[in-house]
Amino acid sequence: MLGIMARKFIEAAAATDLGNVRQYNEDSIAMDPELGVVAVADGMGGHRAGEVASAMATQIVLAGLRERFAELRSGADQHSPLLAVEESINQANLAIWGAARAHAGRLGMGTTLALALFHDNRIVIGHIGDSRVYRLRGGKLQLMTRDDSLLRDQVDARLISVADAAESHNRGLVTQALGIVEQVTAHVRQVDAMPDDIVLLCSDGLNELVEDADIELILQELGVNLPLAAQLLVQTAKDNGGYDNITAIVARVRKPFPAARGWQRRLFGWQH
Amino acid sequence: MAKLVLSSGGSIVFQCFVDKERLSVGRDPTNQIVVDDSSVSREHAQIVAVGNDHIIVDLASANGTFVNGRRMLRHILQHGDVVEFGAFNLRYLNSKTATEVELDRTMLIEGIANAQLGLPTDGAALSVPRKRATRINFPTGRVHMVSGPRAGMMIELDRVVARFGKPGRCSAVLVRRPQGYFLAYVEGRRAPRVNGQSAGKEARRVNDGDVIEVADEKFQFAVAGQRRPDVGRGHLSATRD
Repeated sequence: MLGIMARKFIEAAAATDLGNVRQYNEDSIAMDPELGVVAVADGMGGHRAGEVASAMATQIVLAGLRERFAELRSGADQHSPLLAVEESINQANLAIWGAARAHAGRLGMGTTLALALFHDNRIVIGHIGDSRVYRLRGGKLQLMTRDDSLLRDQVDARLISVADAAESHNRGLVTQALGIVEQVTAHVRQVDAMPDDIVLLCSDGLNELVEDADIELILQELGVNLPLAAQLLVQTAKDNGGYDNITAIVARVRKPFPAARGWQRRLFGWQH
Repeated sequence: MAKLVLSSGGSIVFQCFVDKERLSVGRDPTNQIVVDDSSVSREHAQIVAVGNDHIIVDLASANGTFVNGRRMLRHILQHGDVVEFGAFNLRYLNSKTATEVELDRTMLIEGIANAQLGLPTDGAALSVPRKRATRINFPTGRVHMVSGPRAGMMIELDRVVARFGKPGRCSAVLVRRPQGYFLAYVEGRRAPRVNGQSAGKEARRVNDGDVIEVADEKFQFAVAGQRRPDVGRGHLSATRD
């Protein structure tokens, strides 16, 4: 499956695939060109509940952001984009948690989430679980998120070395996800955006199977053709084994995107 | 569930399931696994459970902890590992191999407390490497640049993609896949050409000897001999006609 989002300032493309082993695709993607937001979620839970959880996460977060940004732009609310992201993620968590409790077959369903919101020359990055956000700038790939995963914890606690992590049996064990408990701590941060920055959001089915060096090369060489870049990332993960669902969203900053501020419009709008 | 089997001279001395967060190994009788050997320290090593991992940690023992013959301070136990304690062998058995675990659905478990990690919860991090180098056999190809700015050069196609043409104007990539190399249009008005014919904008497979043109670059593709899997050698080929 492919999706394309084109806007004057940001363009984005997405690809998602079942992989070679799984029967269902429990990953979900969402893109809103108007809002300038992209999101990936990787669901978990039996009886296809993972699909439900990941779809709920992306849809509720986007709806929450639309609502909060409408308020922000009308001047009715002083939400910061960071707070808007955090609140929308919490809202999705509560909704999934509630839905899981209301339906026996969905007990224990949960999902990861990674999102990037392009606003006012900045990128707000929100994530929970082991879905990731990377940024390519000046040909260098940088991981912008720290996985909520046991393996990551083991390495950080110096229980095992980075090199030994390759031998661990703890792949795929996440320490936080949406929908499992009533309260979550989403990681939300803001980074600056520069023209030609490329942001990649992916489920672990991609980064577990494609080395960072190859992700970097694909983004660098195919940044001018985002649909091809997204498709090639997913295809490479499949070629390398593809034992999980694979999802990639790539977004590129075309030009600076300063926000039109309410007070600016009020003060200076009449002059033009 | 993982199991530990202590043996000496080929006979089993003791065995237990790894059902505790910590198991200690040493000469002292207070240890869960007591190894009565003078070369073993009183508190020699510890086996710590973290999620699906069992990590053996040497407790600064006098003679060290050897796993499969190699001295280790810390090691993630793998099915079949043998840890030597003097004249004793401790074998780790876990039917759930890393590959099987990996196929399990992502599940939620308790993390290691952030306080214990002493780290901020946010911020950039280094990637944890992926499980292992994949054992997919990729072909090895190269191109000989016939004309253009790189004329005369030989370029090895040893990465997932290699770009040709004029980046930013008109370009295409050769994509390396297990089944061969594919030419994919990237940008520009003109699609790449193969053997004088337009290759279109859809990815297509290239064959040994194909002459490819992308913008002002012209080059010939060559397969450097496909590495074949080792099946076919040894037993299989010997028993077959």
